[in-house]
Amino acid sequence: MNSIAADRAKPGAGLFRVRQILDNVEAKPVSTALTWPATLNPAASKRYYFWLVAPAVALLAFISIYPFFWMIYMGLHDVEIGSVVWNDFANFTRLPSDSRYVGGWLLLFQYSAMCLALQIGIGVFLAVALNGLRHEKILVTMLLMPMMIAPLVAGMVWYFLYNGTFGWYHWLLQSVGILGPKSILGSPDTAMLAIVIIDVWQWTPLITLITLAGLKRVPQDQLEANMVDGASPFVNFISVTLPNLYPVLLIAIMLRFMDNFRFIDSALVLTGGGPGNATKILPIYLFEVSFKFFKLGRGAAIALTLLVVTIILGMILAKVFDRLHPKRT
Amino acid sequence: MASRDIVQYQAPLSRAFGWFSAVFLALYLVWTLLPILVMFISSFKDLLEAFKIPPVGDWAGVTLFFDFTPTFKHYENLFVNLNFSQYMANSLIAAGGSAAISVILGSMAAYSLSRIDFHGKSDLLFWIISTRMAPVVAVMVPLYWIFRELELVGTLPGLILAYTTFNLPFAIWILKGFFDDVPYAIEEAQMVDGATRFQAFLSILPLVGPGIGAVVVLCILFAWNDYLFAAIIGSGGAKTLSVATRELVQPQNIQWGPIMAAGVVTTLPMMLLGLVIRRYLVAGLTMGAVKE
Repeated sequence: MNSIAADRAKPGAGLFRVRQILDNVEAKPVSTALTWPATLNPAASKRYYFWLVAPAVALLAFISIYPFFWMIYMGLHDVEIGSVVWNDFANFTRLPSDSRYVGGWLLLFQYSAMCLALQIGIGVFLAVALNGLRHEKILVTMLLMPMMIAPLVAGMVWYFLYNGTFGWYHWLLQSVGILGPKSILGSPDTAMLAIVIIDVWQWTPLITLITLAGLKRVPQDQLEANMVDGASPFVNFISVTLPNLYPVLLIAIMLRFMDNFRFIDSALVLTGGGPGNATKILPIYLFEVSFKFFKLGRGAAIALTLLVVTIILGMILAKVFDRLHPKRT
Repeated sequence: MASRDIVQYQAPLSRAFGWFSAVFLALYLVWTLLPILVMFISSFKDLLEAFKIPPVGDWAGVTLFFDFTPTFKHYENLFVNLNFSQYMANSLIAAGGSAAISVILGSMAAYSLSRIDFHGKSDLLFWIISTRMAPVVAVMVPLYWIFRELELVGTLPGLILAYTTFNLPFAIWILKGFFDDVPYAIEEAQMVDGATRFQAFLSILPLVGPGIGAVVVLCILFAWNDYLFAAIIGSGGAKTLSVATRELVQPQNIQWGPIMAAGVVTTLPMMLLGLVIRRYLVAGLTMGAVKE
């Protein structure tokens, strides 16, 4: 598109142009007929486009690159409100021996893995069940309601539901007989499940939506051809549908994985990392260190490691993305 | 479509699967909608009634849930005594402000990024999207320090700027996708006819208009639903709905009635907005990677 524009911007390029010049040459001296609108002049265009990008990039640099350098600087110092002292990389060197830091990573991966397994399993199944139903549209709309709820509000509602004395969810689990008399958020093993369930409740619909979008692009003729050849729907699903879903599912997994790193709102209200350190996934630990104890230097060091891992994940996502939409970048 | 008849043949196994998936779907829908229903209904319940629950195993006791006399006193309490109209205004200004900045600057940037090519463009784009993907807590550590120096902590401008850290990259990225779908030839034709660049830009706006509207809504949604930034950067002077709701949880005294009412007040507008832009939801929530 751009090369065509550049080509056309040269007066006289292209067959049609040349003929026009010849027609006009005798009639009058080279004049208005030849001037191409200034708006299509490539050099001026470049400047114009540059100034359009500049404000956004400048603002973004101020709120992302500038803080990034501050993060490195803070990570290398003992930062308290009012005093900044160099501390010989102590913030970083003590990380490996900080059991809550290492444990935070493990819990974060455990948490993400549990969330993802449930979300992908349920989400894909729901999408297959929904695909092509008569009331698909309205059912999907009902399904996606939880995604609109503020994570904090979701956390509060589930906090209510999990309550040991008047929570309906607690009552339900006890009535079914799965849960003993213990409180859900009070015991380490169920507390982790509790925050996983909120995430599953809120974000499984996104996986369903993404999978549905993918299902619409599965080549129907291939499915039908297999059917005629006698393949069962199950075989068809495994051999045709699933391979076509891989790219969208990969995107879904990456996005949810990164969101589990990004958002801790509902977990923060529900358990705040407790009981003990049972649900202290790394972002919650980071939040505590930085904004409860205001050890901003240590916080910055932890934040830096978290950020690096997220960016690596992001690079992988971008690779997947490029393969899906080769034209975009 | 001629092969419809063949496809509709159902083996007993796939019939069973059909039944199973229908039951699962129904159960899932109930499970997904119940918490929302509990929130809505509890917000109209007197506290004593909200705490009424049948003994374990008493399935018939479920009717107890609907046994109450509706009251508006929690909503009244919110807006009369707890100053929630102020917090709502704060939420609205913070979300709206950052959405406005993000979409105006974002559409300019997205438009031009969609129209030019230069060395390092893909790196620039990756930087933009990675800004959006960064964990909120991690971003907040240095941002808090900087904003403290600039005396932006606890102010609405500070909160607006904080929300722009994730809304601006989002707006640029998604809008670029919309502009990419509009052929350059349209503007070129306009400019050949003597339109200025700006007029040419205006001429394609109707084509991306709905997309821009959806981005505005999504930016508002992301900012409105935020808690972490508001709790730290906005603490004090710029209390938003989420933070005010959280503050109703006090040791020894969790004010469940007002909490549920605040939940409804926070949730309802966003649900309605979400329905309005339903068509763009998937593209928006997947950063444009998946389109319906």
